[in-house]
Amino acid sequence: MGSISRRDFLGTSAALGTAAALSRIIPGALVESAFAGAPGFFESEFGINDALCKKILEIALSKGGDFADLYFEHTISNWVSLEDGKVDRANGSINLGVGIRTVKGDQTGYGFTQELTEESMKAAAATAASIADGKPKSAAKEYIRLKTEDYYPIKTLFTDISLSSKLPLIKRVNEQCFGLSDLIIKVNATMHDQQKRMMVVTSDGVKAEDLLPRDYLSASVVAEKDGKQERAWWNFGGRQDFSYFTPDLADKLAKEVVDRAVILFDAEQPPAGEMPVVLGPGVTGILLHEAIGHGMEADFNRKGISTYSTMIGKKVAEPFVHIVDEGITPRQLGSINVDDEGIPGQKTMLVENGILTGYLHDKISAKHYNVKPTGNGRRESYQHIPIPRMRNTYMLAGETAPEDVIKSVKNGIYVEDISNGQVKIGEGDFAFYVSQGKMIEDGKITKPIKDVNIMGNGPKMLQNVTMVANDLELHEGGRGACGKDGQSMPVGFGLPTCLVKSMTVGGVQKQGA
Amino acid sequence: MSKEMTKLCELVLKTAKQAGADDCKVSYSKSRFVEVQYREKKPETVKEAGTQGINIDIYVNNRYSAQNTSDLRPDALKTFVNNVVETAKLLEEDPFRSLPDPKYYEGRKDLDLEIMDPNYDQITPELRHQMAKTLEASCVEAGGEKVISVTSQVYDELQDSTVMTSNGFFGETQSSVCYVFVEMTAQDEGNRRPNGYSYAVDRNLKNLPSCEEIGKQAAKRTLDLMGSKKLETETLPIIIENQGVGRVLNGFMSAMNGWALQQKRSFLVDKKGEKLGSDVFTLIDDPFVIGGLGSRLYDGDGFATKKRALVEKGVLKEYLIDWYRSRKLGVAPTTGGTSNLILPPGTRSVAEIMKDLGRGILVNGFIGGNSNSNTGDFSIGITGTLFEGGELTQAVAEMNIAGNHLELWNRLAEAANDPWIYSSWRMPSLVFTDVVVSGV
Repeated sequence: MGSISRRDFLGTSAALGTAAALSRIIPGALVESAFAGAPGFFESEFGINDALCKKILEIALSKGGDFADLYFEHTISNWVSLEDGKVDRANGSINLGVGIRTVKGDQTGYGFTQELTEESMKAAAATAASIADGKPKSAAKEYIRLKTEDYYPIKTLFTDISLSSKLPLIKRVNEQCFGLSDLIIKVNATMHDQQKRMMVVTSDGVKAEDLLPRDYLSASVVAEKDGKQERAWWNFGGRQDFSYFTPDLADKLAKEVVDRAVILFDAEQPPAGEMPVVLGPGVTGILLHEAIGHGMEADFNRKGISTYSTMIGKKVAEPFVHIVDEGITPRQLGSINVDDEGIPGQKTMLVENGILTGYLHDKISAKHYNVKPTGNGRRESYQHIPIPRMRNTYMLAGETAPEDVIKSVKNGIYVEDISNGQVKIGEGDFAFYVSQGKMIEDGKITKPIKDVNIMGNGPKMLQNVTMVANDLELHEGGRGACGKDGQSMPVGFGLPTCLVKSMTVGGVQKQGA
Repeated sequence: MSKEMTKLCELVLKTAKQAGADDCKVSYSKSRFVEVQYREKKPETVKEAGTQGINIDIYVNNRYSAQNTSDLRPDALKTFVNNVVETAKLLEEDPFRSLPDPKYYEGRKDLDLEIMDPNYDQITPELRHQMAKTLEASCVEAGGEKVISVTSQVYDELQDSTVMTSNGFFGETQSSVCYVFVEMTAQDEGNRRPNGYSYAVDRNLKNLPSCEEIGKQAAKRTLDLMGSKKLETETLPIIIENQGVGRVLNGFMSAMNGWALQQKRSFLVDKKGEKLGSDVFTLIDDPFVIGGLGSRLYDGDGFATKKRALVEKGVLKEYLIDWYRSRKLGVAPTTGGTSNLILPPGTRSVAEIMKDLGRGILVNGFIGGNSNSNTGDFSIGITGTLFEGGELTQAVAEMNIAGNHLELWNRLAEAANDPWIYSSWRMPSLVFTDVVVSGV
């Protein structure tokens, strides 16, 4: 196809790809003008070249500072949803802008603009510069493109996927749910896709570009039996290519969500108290993320806020416990080819042989601790300052068979899914709601449970992990978002089956009980 | 400013019609904010920027799509609008989708809600830095030797919004927000590091309490968490502190809206007219509070706003139903969401009430928690302070309260005289009797 102007391309993008029609309305030039992962997007579409970057960076450093960086972003998001049997609503958004940062020690100046014009960028850079008060510094003359792996290649841009190819999948989820159980009275299903293009340019001469897909197919159902209602929700996704979303996946999703709702009619409240808790594999990794992971983010430690801030090199768990945070598992939601400060995606050990070995760093905290950044400098968007954030966080598999972990417990609970978790970083205290689980009686999994909380203390819980099974599973979802400092971030998590020898369960006795 | 916004809205409506839309709503918003954070007597971050965006709702052949963009260059916008219309056409039909009946736009009050600080332009960079410094210094001083870290923040924002529909609605609003915040982490026993905070937010800078006062409060709130223990399970009266009431009330309110009712995710289905709480349980939605954070003359559908009782002396009077859900449910609409939500304050202070109650827990924070809008069941972790003989005696943590909303509000015994005005939900501290507080 012939050339397409920058403006037309953006206009097309603004259609948010929900439209099958995209390639019909605007002839397919788009397909060639910017293909998945191809570098040079911001230069070809907006004229952002090295000379311009140097000019803006030098305004950001006009009062000195340690370094400055530019973060360009163009994100297109779509949601298409079914309610009451019909796919009758589509939402979308397009976000375009650049964030400009100047760093001096632990201090940050930040400005951003939605207009990628030289004039607007200069003004934002001047705002960022105001954090420093020294002599001007120069920025690098050359900007070397960072070479990275691609942990989430996509064959087709989401902007080129027709709405008509999403509709049947969403409808299928609905039909399957109603087909699987007569108890289902309401089904909501959504397909979400997002493609985020970013480019970081740093004053020391690094340029990194990425295209990050994020997507899911989700369903929630309400079931009714003898006048009582139960509900459940589930999703599949991650950083997938559209080819991931097959009719089989729709069927798998429907089965998962219906099973999760219907089983609750047979569920009971377990007795409350201190007891052994077996965490099942996969999604229960949220507990590790909340109760332990946040305390290992270096900014909380740099400021002395975290309970782990004096624990480096000390024993925090049994020797068979190893915890990692990484950005390199293909298709996982927390995977990143490069972080939002231009540091390549990598793997970081947090706990090795039970010893706390390191924190999760951005550039500021790495300098503070005099270590290398770990590639955890992430931000929600160009409107946000990068801070240390988790990527995919999980415990490595052990050697025990999961059955043996369960067998070792006389009376306790088996937790399959948790939600609504919260942790206090400084005390380490946490609380979680168990949304799916079972009783363990005499070493066997028995009846389903509901309406139960687990509460405890992160560091204590980690010390109390006494068995780790060989069945590590990472959660295969696209909705996992973590909130910190007002920034929402996609993350991955996982866990092998493991035994926590004692935890507070319950506290949910009904009043008067 | 507003003229230019109006012109762009008119252009979008015209473009939508040309592209084949039957109807269209366009919302154009702009804002400009400054944020200054201090730590260890120097700026930790300084951030400033402007944002703008257009959201459009397109109605075509009984089909509907809503999308937004921040790229407002005229040609790009035109292509955007065209594509949203084409997207909508590909969806399935939804006969309940339409712009509201214009009769609901009528009767808008002619009233200055005073939601824009007339002296906003006098907030200078120097003033912001001075405020952030004072917040930090006052907290550090009051926190004394227990302080590990103190961070303060000053934030202010100016917002402009213009909304226009193809069936005659037009509204424009200018507002401001000023926000101050300070948090402290303290050294407790056994490497526990409790974190507490204090904040205030208002439309008008001059209405905020002094930065000294907020800094002191943050230190006090943090020190109150020191030496916390988990107590034995006990049935007690509890007082939920004013700024925490929203967290519990939210479980009730989430069952009030049209979506939850129509999608069968509400324990309040068919409960209108029933008594669900004590006589103290009254909830008023009042959009006309002068300077209120939720004050407005028109709601999200463009309906002229009205003051209404949602719950009166325990009786459920009204649901929150927007235009679309009213059509799906086949009932008259009210409004899609609350403006300023008010539970009328009582006459006594928390200290006076504590003296009367003797022994109980003053709840000052929550952790985790779950509320099921289908059943009304909830449970939530709490932190707070035990009081005995009317005096605060022991900090508590890792405890839990649970119950059902259809039962909880019957135990609401008293509202204190201290509405929390730094929120659109202006809740006083509330006293509940006979609550099982679970611990060891």
